[in-house]
Amino acid sequence: MSDNDAADRPPRLDRRQLVGALGGAVAAPFLIRRAQAASAVNIGVILPLSGANAQFGVNSRNGIQLVADQINAAGGIKSLGSARVELVVADATSTPTQAATVAQRMITQNRVAAILGAFASSLTLAISEVTERRDIPLLTMSFSDQITERGFKSVFQVVAKASVIGAAQFDGTLAIAKKAGTDLKQVAILFEDTAYGTSQAGGLRKAAAKAGVQVVVDEGYPLGITDVTPLINKLRASGAQAVFPVSYLNDSLQIIRVMRQQGLTFPAIGGAAGYVIPDFKSGLGEYAEGILSISPANWDQDPALTDTFSKRYGYFMVHEALEHAVCLDVLVQAMEKAGKSDPASLREVLHGTRFEGGWTKVMTGGAVQFDAAGLNTLAEPLMVQWRGKEPVTVWPERFAKAPPIWKA
Amino acid sequence: MPVAAIAAALIVPLGLDGDGYAIRVIALVFLFAALGQSWNIVGGLANQISLGHAAFFGIGAYTSTRLLIDFGLSPWFGMLAGGVLGGAAAALISLPTMRLRGHYFALATLAFGEVMRVVANAWTGLTGGPVGISVPYSAPGLWMLSFKGTLPFYYLNLTALVGVTAVFVGIRRSAFGYRLQAVREDANAAEVVGVDTARIKIQAAVISGALTAMLGTLYAQMNFFFDPDAVFGAAPISVRIALIAIVGGIGTAAGPILGAILIVSLEEIANVLLSGQVAGLSNLVYGLILIAVIMIQPHGLVALGPVFRRPWRVPAVDAAK
Repeated sequence: MSDNDAADRPPRLDRRQLVGALGGAVAAPFLIRRAQAASAVNIGVILPLSGANAQFGVNSRNGIQLVADQINAAGGIKSLGSARVELVVADATSTPTQAATVAQRMITQNRVAAILGAFASSLTLAISEVTERRDIPLLTMSFSDQITERGFKSVFQVVAKASVIGAAQFDGTLAIAKKAGTDLKQVAILFEDTAYGTSQAGGLRKAAAKAGVQVVVDEGYPLGITDVTPLINKLRASGAQAVFPVSYLNDSLQIIRVMRQQGLTFPAIGGAAGYVIPDFKSGLGEYAEGILSISPANWDQDPALTDTFSKRYGYFMVHEALEHAVCLDVLVQAMEKAGKSDPASLREVLHGTRFEGGWTKVMTGGAVQFDAAGLNTLAEPLMVQWRGKEPVTVWPERFAKAPPIWKA
Repeated sequence: MPVAAIAAALIVPLGLDGDGYAIRVIALVFLFAALGQSWNIVGGLANQISLGHAAFFGIGAYTSTRLLIDFGLSPWFGMLAGGVLGGAAAALISLPTMRLRGHYFALATLAFGEVMRVVANAWTGLTGGPVGISVPYSAPGLWMLSFKGTLPFYYLNLTALVGVTAVFVGIRRSAFGYRLQAVREDANAAEVVGVDTARIKIQAAVISGALTAMLGTLYAQMNFFFDPDAVFGAAPISVRIALIAIVGGIGTAAGPILGAILIVSLEEIANVLLSGQVAGLSNLVYGLILIAVIMIQPHGLVALGPVFRRPWRVPAVDAAK
């Protein structure tokens, strides 16, 4: 009996040590946090850095990093004692659960003052459910209508929402076609069945109904579709005068390439995302020229600012990088004004201020102002058209940098 | 040992920030351990490797959330309704597939889970479609399963884990459990000695499906937001649940718990340490470690040696004395 006990003892002690070690591991981050100096403001950045949307996540991170470095080089946040902007970057992966967990971690471990992210609407929605309950401001450039339609107080959307962007995509197309003497009667809509795709398609559909234009093809397809030929065949048979393929990168490349290879030359109007990044041009080559797209913002609205991006990273400042840059700039402006970085004061300043100067100049209206729901009321979507290596703003006329080209 | 483990789990939160990240991660460990455990009833005892458990999980999440949104019904009733629907779905999918064995069964269930995901994406009126669905935020309280912080879910998930584990152990020790294990060892021999193999497999699937669906409700309430890919997805749910049970030790009570501790915390650690660096590095490292674990110990973590195995044996040895 006692022999057995003695034999049993060593592993038990081991187990206790194991528990002790695990406890230590759990406690360590808390202790390390205590020891850190307080002359920096932590800002959380949650982006999809792996998976299907990784490219957009990386672009966004570049934009945020650029602004953070600019602010720190200029002496940090002055009203907070020249506090440095410290970015806490994490991968949202592509699952909302992971994004929410990351948000929780940033709030409790890193004590972030606010969170920026997360490009994809489903990730942003999941994060917002966490930030709203913890009263942490979340600044986003995701389009989904839901983001600012749930009555949340701590979410801020710097771009127009998806239904507005979808409607503008349609109205802009009609306007450009009309200017070229084409009366648009029949169009096709192709969309990926994600949060982003369905809500943009919904906006397009409504706009078409309102304009009395017939939608002759209205097809959803799964993200990462392997063969678009059936879609293109449907398109050919439909008699559509223009096509709206709403998609992220790879799918849009496939759709346009197969269309052009099969000799379908009518205009294609993209819905931002994959249509307005350098990879679109490098993936399609000459087929990219003249492709139209809606975009919530474009680099050419203030080239002096966006050139700092292209100089550092070697490609034009894509809209997600630009809007994330604006998110961070607005947040820092709010901190300057509040003189504090606690969530309640930040939220108050974010709601009640018209932000001007800095990166907000590149947005339409040259400023950013949030309404009670947190939506930037000054943001207007733009129509851009590929010219050489970059998309150029062509509509609405007051923002246009070049006249649109329409080949019926 | 189980009692000591539960006691430790009850005490741990006292030392941590109640709304904190560590609590959330441990709560997720409990939830996924419970999911692994309910998978274990079919996958472990009868060796019917299901890769479609997300189907039941999603049914539970959507049922309770839909009832909550449309009728303001307490998620507790939603959980029961989800359990019934999950069990019914398990029976439905079992009827044609239970005679399949090995890879064929795994493939059939994988397809079922994917079908549910596609349906949920398309059926926008019911599920909100790919845009996802937000769980309405009710006044905090146990009745509406709604809390501002994470700590209540820590205890709820722990309770769920203890409950599902008790069901698993109860089944394993019952005549029903022995029949299931007979099917696992040799289905033909079991038939010969008079076990209605198809029938008991369906019964086990129904119990497993119902429990998985009920855990889906808990997940929905804890996460506030989900979309079809999050609850019906093969990688985030179906394969993960099976992986947890397999890595931990298939067919054992401790297996899914050890598996969930390893897999959930590994994902977190990889994300914390590596995701801010090179894009995608955290997933790569996570995958490599999992491959290493399976290669070093194909029987799961429970087989790693006396350190882990003994605690579960000690009571039996004492009783024998």
